[in-house]
Amino acid sequence: MSTLHVLSHSPFGDNRLSSCLRLLSSRDALLLCGDAVYALQAGTAQRQALELMPEVISLYALDEDVQARHLTPPERLNLIDYPGFVALSCQYDKVNTWL
Amino acid sequence: MSQSLLIISRQSPWSGPSAREALDIALAGGAFDLPIGLLFLDDGVFQLSHAQQPVQLQQKDLSANLKALPMFGVEALYVSARSLEERGLHEQPLPLAAECLDDTQLSALIDRYDQVITL
Amino acid sequence: MSSLQLDVRQLPVDKDGYLIELADWSEAAAAALAEREGIELTDAHWEILWLIRDFYAEFQLSPANRPLIKFVASKLGSEKGNSLHLNRLFNGAPAKLSAKLAGLPKPTNCL
Repeated sequence: MSTLHVLSHSPFGDNRLSSCLRLLSSRDALLLCGDAVYALQAGTAQRQALELMPEVISLYALDEDVQARHLTPPERLNLIDYPGFVALSCQYDKVNTWL
Repeated sequence: MSQSLLIISRQSPWSGPSAREALDIALAGGAFDLPIGLLFLDDGVFQLSHAQQPVQLQQKDLSANLKALPMFGVEALYVSARSLEERGLHEQPLPLAAECLDDTQLSALIDRYDQVITL
Repeated sequence: MSSLQLDVRQLPVDKDGYLIELADWSEAAAAALAEREGIELTDAHWEILWLIRDFYAEFQLSPANRPLIKFVASKLGSEKGNSLHLNRLFNGAPAKLSAKLAGLPKPTNCL
């Protein structure tokens, strides 16, 4: 079953992102919101890890969170709004929010 | 048929209410005969270290509570081998009958459950 | 706060009638608590009360119905570890009532 993994904590404060990346299955997707979008910060190991994720794993982020932090997203990132978030939640079999 | 639920517990017993909350969800689900799995990941594996002294912090003994899981019908217990090893806990016997899984096995595990909660 | 009268002592209880202090429990307190529930304690009750106190000592929590039945069955056999027997002894609410009479906290995983 496909899982949408949702991260909302900064990847510089804890290991949610790295644990999540290790546990992704090929049908899964990753959605960054809140401070988790700091993983897109250029020149960081976190950004590099996201860019190196297998292509089959879709990467999403909430547009407003990315814009507010003035980050330059990588090519593969899909920016979504809140209605997009809801649609995405329905598209996957389950949502795993890393609280 | 009820939906299966995997609870991923990834905080230490002393970092706040998360570890207890994860356990409470497991116990409540088990008491209602739901198919529950519990996975210890990241700092959550510290819940499995031996001879903790909760009285020192005026807390209840989470490890005694954990041993009640099979009595509540929660027998699907898993632990991340990597998290144990990173924290130097891989060489001691586990206080629970939990299955030790590598990252690939853990992705397959998460995939198998209908719902997942990470605390 | 409410209390349970036991001889000359007043033992504090919560709004549901559970003893606040684990250490206040005694066989006499159990009998007094049972009387409030309209139950006269028999040997059949006592063996469950001692057992559930063992459960608490081991796991540091009061069992919900299902684990209670499972635990009693594992210790005393399925003739006693079944809902019929336990419901009959404890007015149809075995987990809640046996915990109360055994001086333990109210089980939290019983809705």
